[in-house]
Amino acid sequence: MNWMAKTRPNAAAATARLNPGPSTLQGSTSNVRISNGLKEFLWLISDVPHGRVLDLGPVWQSTVAFFVEKGYRISTEDLLRTWKDFQTDEEERQRAAISVEGEKVTQAMLAEKFLEKALQYPSEHFHGVLAWDLLDYFDPQVVPFLLERLFTSLYPGGVVLTLFHSRAAERYHRYRIVDSQTIELVPSPTIAVHAHVFQNRELMDLFGKFRSSKTFVGRDQVRESLFLK
Amino acid sequence: MWRKPNEVKPSSQPAGSPGSVPNQTKTVSPAAVTTESQPPASQTPVVPAPVPYAPVQHNVPAPPPVIPAPVTKMAVARESTASSRIGSGLKIRGELSGSGNADLLVDGELQGKIALGDSRVTIGQSGRVQADIEARDILIEGSVQGNLKARESVHLGSTSRVQGSILTPRIGIDDGARLRGKVEMIRASDAGASPAEPATDSDLLRPVHARSTEA
Repeated sequence: MNWMAKTRPNAAAATARLNPGPSTLQGSTSNVRISNGLKEFLWLISDVPHGRVLDLGPVWQSTVAFFVEKGYRISTEDLLRTWKDFQTDEEERQRAAISVEGEKVTQAMLAEKFLEKALQYPSEHFHGVLAWDLLDYFDPQVVPFLLERLFTSLYPGGVVLTLFHSRAAERYHRYRIVDSQTIELVPSPTIAVHAHVFQNRELMDLFGKFRSSKTFVGRDQVRESLFLK
Repeated sequence: MWRKPNEVKPSSQPAGSPGSVPNQTKTVSPAAVTTESQPPASQTPVVPAPVPYAPVQHNVPAPPPVIPAPVTKMAVARESTASSRIGSGLKIRGELSGSGNADLLVDGELQGKIALGDSRVTIGQSGRVQADIEARDILIEGSVQGNLKARESVHLGSTSRVQGSILTPRIGIDDGARLRGKVEMIRASDAGASPAEPATDSDLLRPVHARSTEA
């Protein structure tokens, strides 16, 4: 998959020009979002006939159906919930252990231990990863470890779609795909607080190993970024 | 409609035969029930057919009344599919296999393997399973750690927790379900061909909720 070499069909280009940036649909009762990031993501993985996609959010019927109907194989791993469950278990374990050993556990140590069980996929396995806005909810010390693992799991030329808030998110949402350019934001019980607002410079450093990136900024100042391996 | 009103329809079954055993649950019209003041009908070789219940008076003490069990949905289901259940207090280790359509409901704990190719396997809300499951239909409401392979469909309920890959021609996922693993759609005809195994590029993907019509 070569980002620069790919030629976009004229119709798609025209549609992209008509939709200058992602935005939340006005007047719509459901909380949906027109996503140019998703459209670009799908365009980038469209070269692979039976590609593999990893969704790091919760499993949704609509998202699974969307990719399966297009001929992709989809894996899901609710990364944030898994992390929270792991953290809870670890805190309980440490509460008992600290009194004996007095060991100080850093976030980096936790991340390494977490990755012994999570994101266990073969190298160069996925053609696309949907990370949504999860990285905003992880401790900034943990994010590099996650990205390193995702980078390894990505096929050369694979792409990661991520969303970054420009200010602390007021409400916790989960995301599911409605169609090829629409995402539904599903309000969910907060399982994690918004941890960090990444600046563009930070993102460039975090995704330094990736070949290139493209970002769409919405009217709500949410950045939809694509990073290509 | 072709018979005169007073004409008695001949019966091929004489009274007193097994067909007229008391307590049989048949619909009996009140007019057809023989009362005690009437003579026993068993003496006559031909009796009207719609009199299935004719109590014969003997000098033996009457048996205690037997109340016929009501025919419930559960009883019908048990007769037709012979469902098996692993209750919530049970723990089983090993392999469960079988043929036929003996459906299985797991509310307890199970470790090992479930291979019931023609059956429906249901993991109840309190079910905890560490096993690969192979069945016709798989319905999960509890927790499963293992690969699921269904010949027809997999359904993940809202309380389900699944860790493993899913191989099926059709899948249903309720909101709230938790899945950590891969979803692959296969042809219905391929689903029973081989055990669950890692995916290959040659696997043909099928649409969700679209039953395959190809051979």
